[in-house]
Amino acid sequence: MSRGWGWLAAFVVLASVTTACQEELTAPAVCPELCPGGNARVFDTVLTPLPGADSSYTGYVPRHRAGSMLVSNGLPAGDARAVYRFQARRDSAPVGDSARPYVVDSAQISLNLIRRDTLLDGLNLYLYRIDPATADSEATFASITSQFVPGALIDSIHVPDTLNSGLVRTVLRGADVAKVALPVEGDGVLAIGVAMSAPEPSGARLGALLAQSGATFISYVTVDTPDTGTIRNQTLSAQTTFNTYVLAAPQRPDPNLLTVGGEPSSRALLRFDVPPPIEDSGTIVRATLELIPAAPVIGLRTDPPLLEARSLFADLGAKSPVVTTDPRFIISDTISVGGADTVRLDVTAIVQLWQAVDERPEAIFLSLLPEAASFSRPVFGSTRSATPGPARLRITYLKPFSFETP
Amino acid sequence: MRRLLLLALLTLAPATVAAQASQFGVRGLGVPGRPLSTRAAGSSGAFAMFDAESGLNPATIGGLPAMTATFNSSASFRTVENPAGSASLRSTRFPYVSFGGPARGTPFAVGVSYSTYTNRDFSNATLDTLELRDVLIPVFDTLSSRGGMSDLRIAGSFKARERSVIGGSFHILTGSNRMEQHRTFTDNQYRPVEQSTELSFAGVGVSLGAVHQLGRSLWVAAIARSDGGASVERDSAPVGDIDLPYSLGLGLRWKAGARLDLAAHGIFRTWSGANSDLLALGGSGSDNTVEVAFGGEFANDPRRPNRAPIRFGVYYATLPFLLPPGLQPEEYGASLGSGVRFAQDRGSLDLAVGYLSRSTGDFEERGFTLSFGVAVRP
Repeated sequence: MSRGWGWLAAFVVLASVTTACQEELTAPAVCPELCPGGNARVFDTVLTPLPGADSSYTGYVPRHRAGSMLVSNGLPAGDARAVYRFQARRDSAPVGDSARPYVVDSAQISLNLIRRDTLLDGLNLYLYRIDPATADSEATFASITSQFVPGALIDSIHVPDTLNSGLVRTVLRGADVAKVALPVEGDGVLAIGVAMSAPEPSGARLGALLAQSGATFISYVTVDTPDTGTIRNQTLSAQTTFNTYVLAAPQRPDPNLLTVGGEPSSRALLRFDVPPPIEDSGTIVRATLELIPAAPVIGLRTDPPLLEARSLFADLGAKSPVVTTDPRFIISDTISVGGADTVRLDVTAIVQLWQAVDERPEAIFLSLLPEAASFSRPVFGSTRSATPGPARLRITYLKPFSFETP
Repeated sequence: MRRLLLLALLTLAPATVAAQASQFGVRGLGVPGRPLSTRAAGSSGAFAMFDAESGLNPATIGGLPAMTATFNSSASFRTVENPAGSASLRSTRFPYVSFGGPARGTPFAVGVSYSTYTNRDFSNATLDTLELRDVLIPVFDTLSSRGGMSDLRIAGSFKARERSVIGGSFHILTGSNRMEQHRTFTDNQYRPVEQSTELSFAGVGVSLGAVHQLGRSLWVAAIARSDGGASVERDSAPVGDIDLPYSLGLGLRWKAGARLDLAAHGIFRTWSGANSDLLALGGSGSDNTVEVAFGGEFANDPRRPNRAPIRFGVYYATLPFLLPPGLQPEEYGASLGSGVRFAQDRGSLDLAVGYLSRSTGDFEERGFTLSFGVAVRP
């Protein structure tokens, strides 16, 4: 090998070593010698809502537009009964191009069980026939339960202990069909009320029209067609056209407290004023909204509600438009039922948004999910209540790092 | 050939060290650079006062036989130790490029070069525990910087007499530090933090240099340089000025024989002038520095001295910016190099490997640098 080739080889080797080397510059450091600018310091501050600017507004979602219907027995959160009204059942069945009278052989009523107390066995649902005229948005606990008499009992449904959610049904045959008999003349409407029983106070959520999971009433009928001498079997299905539930003790929001949930649902608006030093130059690393319950949160332990906080586009009071699509600014967390511990929500992203966009109001809208369909009705302290104290916004932030110059 | 293979093996040797990026560049303006060609780096810079391809003495460009472009690269492999622990680091930089040559038919030569004035590349990691909301939370901080100051030199030389060359240069000193501070919390309820800033520097300097041949085999060289001051801006807002040093240097070269060429130099820089400015800006202060180097070049073939000579050298220097107060960092190094010219001296390749050690108090840094340079004389 000539000397020239040797040089070329050495050059290639060295060039490869130097240029193929991946940079690695991170080394452990000891302060203060190797920490120009010192250490970033973290600060913690607690803000309360602007005095009198934390409010609850009621009337967003009425019970008959809730996503599920409540039914309970002796639950501390309150007794509830569900009400369904079905589509009118035609008084004749179509055969070819003509309508023929029919005979109801059997009938089925099915309910959609959304949530139950999974720790409790022996759940039974009781279906009562009620006056369809009373199944409306004005229905009260008294007006419905007064119809729950033995003679109005259609059937009971034993919910299998292994069933946590899904369809449950009762099929009426023979003489029992008369319990859901409808007028022969003119279209008939069936309405039912639902009660429940369990070995201990408990509750359940049933399907609703809004969630397309309402109850269904199916009639199995026989149509006599004398022209052809044959008998036809048909099914007439009636879906829920209206549903609601009634509570023995509806909630009356206290204007001095912050009410979230209930029916019709309440939402709370909290307004803050982040101090300029934090808003202008602080780096927020954590922001927590702390709400102090005025009383232990009641409800169904195995069906805890979600407390949801949303950022606002504009502060227009009760009708403030809130973020509906960006999940970063919709924060939710479960509220423990039975406890009075401070409820905490991580609202860091929302507070960071206040910093980033001046136009966004420094406010948070709170709601409870499922809205108007939860046994829980948390009530929190406000700036108008001495006990418990108002909500708190706890912000942890860093001041600008003092980079050494140089 | 065996020497070449030895050199190649040296480049592959397991190494730990540093050259430019350093924990000693964390404070002040960083680690001062040395505008050395790879050829001069092979002798630890001992020949830099006389080397036409180096940027130390503007008079030396009069020694360029033709228009010459040089490109130099350096990789460092180092071990850093301090009370917080140790780490093995590596980096690659291109610290020096130059272009220049004689003005044909005149006693003048001109050139430009671009070199590292100070380097402030580092990433420092620290662990701490903070009490946040009554809970102890471990945090991990990283402070990093990239950049430094660069020296754009425009130089000219004049061959005053047969044995004397004088030169002068104008220096544009500019650059920036992009600094970032990251903090992550082990509790992921706390968002990670990233803050950054950019420091920019601007200044000008001038230097004068001379090389004089005292006898058949003895040369002396001298330089004097003033870098004035650097104005400092932080995120485009002026924050102050920093005095940059005066530099005075003297070099001696002795051709001890047909095969052996020896050189040495010493340079004194008045970095203490920046002390008050750095302290006023919140820095840690600075002190004057000295640099001395001694080295030689052994020619295998006296008739063709540029054909794979063996270069060697050692040097010692103090660093201007203090880590622990009152303790000035110092560094020493040794190097070995060689090179070859080809295509009728129109091209050359130079290689150098150097050992470097820096220390002050409990802070140490050791490692190797690998340098290679290419020169083209079209």
